[in-house]
Amino acid sequence: MAEMILFYALAALLLLSAGLVVTVRNIFHAALYLALALFAVAALYVMLGAYFLAAMQVLIYIGAVVVLAIFVINLTRTVTGAPVTLTRRWVIPAALVSALTASLIIVALLKSAGPAGAAPDGAADPAVQGSAAANAAAQGTAAALGRHLLGDFVLPFELVSVLLLSALIAAIVIVGKDREEEK
Amino acid sequence: MTLTLTHYLVLAALLFCLGVYGAITRKNAIGILMALELVFNAVNLTLVAAGRFRPQSDGVGQLFALFVIAAAAAESVLGLAIILAIYRRRVVVNADEMDLMKN
Repeated sequence: MAEMILFYALAALLLLSAGLVVTVRNIFHAALYLALALFAVAALYVMLGAYFLAAMQVLIYIGAVVVLAIFVINLTRTVTGAPVTLTRRWVIPAALVSALTASLIIVALLKSAGPAGAAPDGAADPAVQGSAAANAAAQGTAAALGRHLLGDFVLPFELVSVLLLSALIAAIVIVGKDREEEK
Repeated sequence: MTLTLTHYLVLAALLFCLGVYGAITRKNAIGILMALELVFNAVNLTLVAAGRFRPQSDGVGQLFALFVIAAAAAESVLGLAIILAIYRRRVVVNADEMDLMKN
């Protein structure tokens, strides 16, 4: 049962890294484990046939939220202690991680382009195709989601854009305030 | 034996509990925010799994998860901005030292 083995491996990875996020003492390491946990969730999305969502998970969560958290950790480092040394010791693991991320995005996007996507080389792929109903296979595509977003859900969709704009402005106002007072 | 909805729901419940544990035990405000991200992901996992195993949902589970991701992104941006603003003014990042509005 390839699907079962894959699920339990991903579940173990997810729970282990999530446990480390909430227990490890160095906050910088916690942010890195958070990226690993979010990556495991993205892999589970692929298993569930949600290819577009998996790509968004990697792009938004790992690409933006975790990076933002790491920025803030570094900006507040004088209090959190534990100076972070940026060495070049981990070149090979880092390259491996970035290559895996890229391949996940590419596979997800290829799958997202159509249900009969070419070159099924991801480990999750036979598992997904093995048990998925035809309906579920079509659900994960960007086209299906886009049809929903601009159809029944157009109002929440527009509200989200307002939410993101207000969050953007609020972040600039909150963080930019001190600079005005210094003048 | 095949994978069922229950597998995913149990996994999401465990993840949710880990996130709640972290949000409670962490002193560092950034750590609390990161634990909350785990909670959001647990909820998203339940939404996507429910959408996958209930065909009549017609992909709406994934749509909700997409909205949750957008809301979580806005939340973490504002949370980190507030942490940064407090740090600049008071040089604290621990949640129990942020007592500006206490009196």
